[in-house]
Amino acid sequence: MEAFLSSMPEILATTIRMTVPLLFVALGELFSERAGLVNIGLDGLMTIGAFTGFVVGYQTGNLWLGVLCGAVAGIAVNMIYAFCTVNLCVDQTVMGMAINILAPGIATFAYKVVFGDGSTLVQGVTMDKVAIPLLSDIPVIGNAIFNQTLLAYLCYLLVPLCWFYFARTRSGLNFRSVGENPQAAETLGINAVQMKYLASIVCGALAGMGGAFLTTCYTSTYATGVVAGRGFIALAAVIFGRWSAVGILGSTLLFGFFDAVQISLQIAVPDISYQFFAMIPYVFTIVALFFFNAQKGGPKANGKPYFREER
Amino acid sequence: MSKFKKWLTMGMCALLACFVAVGLVACGGSGDSGSGDSGDAGGSDGTGKKVAMILDGPVNDGGWGASCYDAMCAAAKDHGWTTAYSESVDQADWVTVMQDYVDQGYDLVIAPGNQYTSAVEDCAKANPDAKFCIFNDDVTDYDNIECTMPDTVQIGEVAGVMAGLLSTTNNIGFIGAMELDTTLNKIQGYTEAAQKVNPDAKVTVAYANSFSDAAKGKELATNMINSNNVDVMFGDASIVDTGAREALEAAGAGHYDIGQPGNIGSEDNAIIAVSVVTDNAKMTNQVLDDVENDTFGKKTIKGDLANGCVYAGTISTKICDQETIDKFNEYVEQIKNGTF
Repeated sequence: MEAFLSSMPEILATTIRMTVPLLFVALGELFSERAGLVNIGLDGLMTIGAFTGFVVGYQTGNLWLGVLCGAVAGIAVNMIYAFCTVNLCVDQTVMGMAINILAPGIATFAYKVVFGDGSTLVQGVTMDKVAIPLLSDIPVIGNAIFNQTLLAYLCYLLVPLCWFYFARTRSGLNFRSVGENPQAAETLGINAVQMKYLASIVCGALAGMGGAFLTTCYTSTYATGVVAGRGFIALAAVIFGRWSAVGILGSTLLFGFFDAVQISLQIAVPDISYQFFAMIPYVFTIVALFFFNAQKGGPKANGKPYFREER
Repeated sequence: MSKFKKWLTMGMCALLACFVAVGLVACGGSGDSGSGDSGDAGGSDGTGKKVAMILDGPVNDGGWGASCYDAMCAAAKDHGWTTAYSESVDQADWVTVMQDYVDQGYDLVIAPGNQYTSAVEDCAKANPDAKFCIFNDDVTDYDNIECTMPDTVQIGEVAGVMAGLLSTTNNIGFIGAMELDTTLNKIQGYTEAAQKVNPDAKVTVAYANSFSDAAKGKELATNMINSNNVDVMFGDASIVDTGAREALEAAGAGHYDIGQPGNIGSEDNAIIAVSVVTDNAKMTNQVLDDVENDTFGKKTIKGDLANGCVYAGTISTKICDQETIDKFNEYVEQIKNGTF
């Protein structure tokens, strides 16, 4: 317990950093699921975003352009998902898995096209951190929370924006109605198909940015596997966060916290096998899904294909 | 259907077709794995023989995978063989991919790590005429399997000597990917050697549970630096080590890394004090010799400091003063002679 408490400042700092990519992607999934599209292809979207962000940032030297292109690449790949699930009514789970397989394949292939078929690990640069004056000087939490990259601040800023959009705007209400009952929404003049495409665009962009964060802010390189299953954790975070932006912030912070805990405890308590600590985030994921299962509170039409002409 | 919808459908079909086409080329038929054909490495005097490698991670991992792939290419070039590889192959597909290479008539299939041993044994039993090589293992029961085994304790010892000499906080770190036998050997050598040259040295060990999660490596190293005041690190986790080096760089002056398995440092490197190099090419050359001379199988080619398959790479003079370099070289010589 003493070791745990003494590690708290480090755990907090690690939590804030590790939450950012999860939060980006989970917010993207929030838009998708609010429109009735369960997109389990987040890992693939992150991968293509991570690759594109790295390559563009490396080639141009402009990391913001890299992030932007990562978002565009995420959108492009997610349009395949959108077309197949919205227009062709393909099973969303199958399509998501297809994206998870396809996107890393494209990224690997494109990496070799850009950098050649060699064994050299190409390294670029990462974004600088920006400390917020005064706030970053607060003891214990100041440096952990208020000394991040601009992209990390932007990510946290998205939470109130998303909350406001879904809770306080007509467009947000339309979005939610499509996820609950697209047929009823259409009778009110809402174009459900258009909404689903819009959701896929936002989801692709945010997932791509989450991936790009890994290769432009976290580390300076891209390699297959860099996403390391974060897309699936984000998927669980949306359910645990009860499909609300604030809830998702809480759940991703918790996932980030448990990941940080396992890192810190490995170092602080070397006598216990590392496998025990490594399983903490996954045990938490199972527990979270057990107590906050998808049957309660989720959009009613989530995961169901929408046939416009069907009664 | 409106004109817009027709165009949308056609456009999406075209986009889908493009992605699927690219994806099929890239995927190579299994998960997110990729494959490559490096062509005739030997030039005009090629022997017509072919060697292939399967990897569970990317070939450009900046660590073990890259080192093994380079070793295969170098050995193949020396012998005039053609090379091919499959990277990021899922565990479930190891046997299938190796069988594919056997079916394509490859003279040798290399599996660069002891995690593949069971799969190689299965494939070797099913294909008694095909030849397999496992790096980092010591399997000597099969006529058609030959292994290479660098002395992993020595590798750890060389790194430990440098870490012990360099550390001013007496706290050194080690990041592994998994608790593999070879990793445990390196930790053992690293710890013992560091504490021999610096009795106050304390070693912090952590595992990333991944060979590719650079972000996890960065966090582990950052935690070690901030919580345990670690100032010198050694890693055995490929891309994860890259993240750790970024954390050391971010921590500022006085924080150093020891690289492996390639010679990734330089005289003016500010982070990598020295690399402990495993010359897989030298050992792979012997394997290819054995295939050509029909002396293949039932043996393990050992690599250590004495036969030059393990050696200390370029030392950074920016990090190490002459006294440290002299002491380091002296200790390495003692390890080589078995008098350390």
